[in-house]
Amino acid sequence: MEEQQIQDFVHRVSHDETLRKELASNPDGVIMREGFSPRVARIVARLVPQLALDKPIGPSSPFFWR
Amino acid sequence: MLIERLNLLLAALDSVLYPDVIRALEGAGKLLSQPEHQADHPDPPLPAGVWPLLTLLVAQQITPDIDTVSASSVAVAIECFVCAIDLLDDVIDEDQTPTLQTLGVARTLNVSTALLTLAQQAILSLSQQGVQPLTILRLLNTLQESALVVTAGQHRDVLAEQRPAQNFTREECIEIAAAKAGSIMRLACRLGALCAGADNVVCEQFSEFGELLGIAHQLDNDNHDLYYLLQGGTSTIASTEAETARNIKSDLVRGKKTLPVVLAAQINGTLQNTSSSADEEKKEYLRALHEGILTTWGICLLYRERARDRLQEIETQKPVAPLLHLLLGFE
Repeated sequence: MEEQQIQDFVHRVSHDETLRKELASNPDGVIMREGFSPRVARIVARLVPQLALDKPIGPSSPFFWR
Repeated sequence: MLIERLNLLLAALDSVLYPDVIRALEGAGKLLSQPEHQADHPDPPLPAGVWPLLTLLVAQQITPDIDTVSASSVAVAIECFVCAIDLLDDVIDEDQTPTLQTLGVARTLNVSTALLTLAQQAILSLSQQGVQPLTILRLLNTLQESALVVTAGQHRDVLAEQRPAQNFTREECIEIAAAKAGSIMRLACRLGALCAGADNVVCEQFSEFGELLGIAHQLDNDNHDLYYLLQGGTSTIASTEAETARNIKSDLVRGKKTLPVVLAAQINGTLQNTSSSADEEKKEYLRALHEGILTTWGICLLYRERARDRLQEIETQKPVAPLLHLLLGFE
């Protein structure tokens, strides 16, 4: 299930400093190794700046729907 | 055309009720609002009437030469329905919106009832525009079914306030989001498709698309409100900063089981009463909350991607009009 894959991956990155550093330096390699579906891979790729570099999260919807 | 149809509908209202209904429909983002840019706010003003515009554009997407009078009547039904549900939501959540502050609870509830009835009236008015009775019945039935789903979702949300967050699951949170925002956007898309005479397959494609996008919007709302509160920064949502912060705090105090809160409780295994915890426990909880927010954002993006996939399926039959693309926020 895609939701569970995302939840598990965020949890692992949050608790594994080595994985965090690897994700920061080689995101494509990590995403490929994890074997995500293309859709989950796209989402994880978008999450990399927040997961690995502590960048702020941005809204995903146009402001008028929020 | 939309405002014209709405004004025709409102003309039948009793003069005692009329000004209060107008007041509600002039609220931020509503069809009769007059967007004004606030110099001290980072966002542009909320455009007026995005909900009826969505219904109208879906109808025109399916049948470009659809009779705009009848399509606008259906779109106005959505405007009345969404406004009524928003008012109920504000009363239930005790959000101090300008409309609620002006009208008070009793009048707001009465206006909500009037708007729900007007939504049905707008659809029934199609009989004067030569729309087939079977189509009118299908539209009305769809509206009623959605009203019950939204109400059940709201009820579930209220009952959830009494349960500890750890007893909740991710699936339950998403089910509530689906019943609330998901079913409203599903309805807006489905009514547009139905009034344009779409077949069952196309109706279902637009319905599913709307539901997925509605869930994404709900998760986005819950997540970003909480995120910006934790960051101590300014929310980018289109309301005043103070109002936003008040509503978020109200959600937390009421024990709303939003997805980031539930995920944090699962991660941390603690309740939401962080103020009574020791400093270290509080830090742990905040870390768990941050993880919950990131996970929720990922799941929000997932639903948006699923919606995009549905839209691409729709586009295999006919390219989606640029204005509809723009409204939906897909490049």
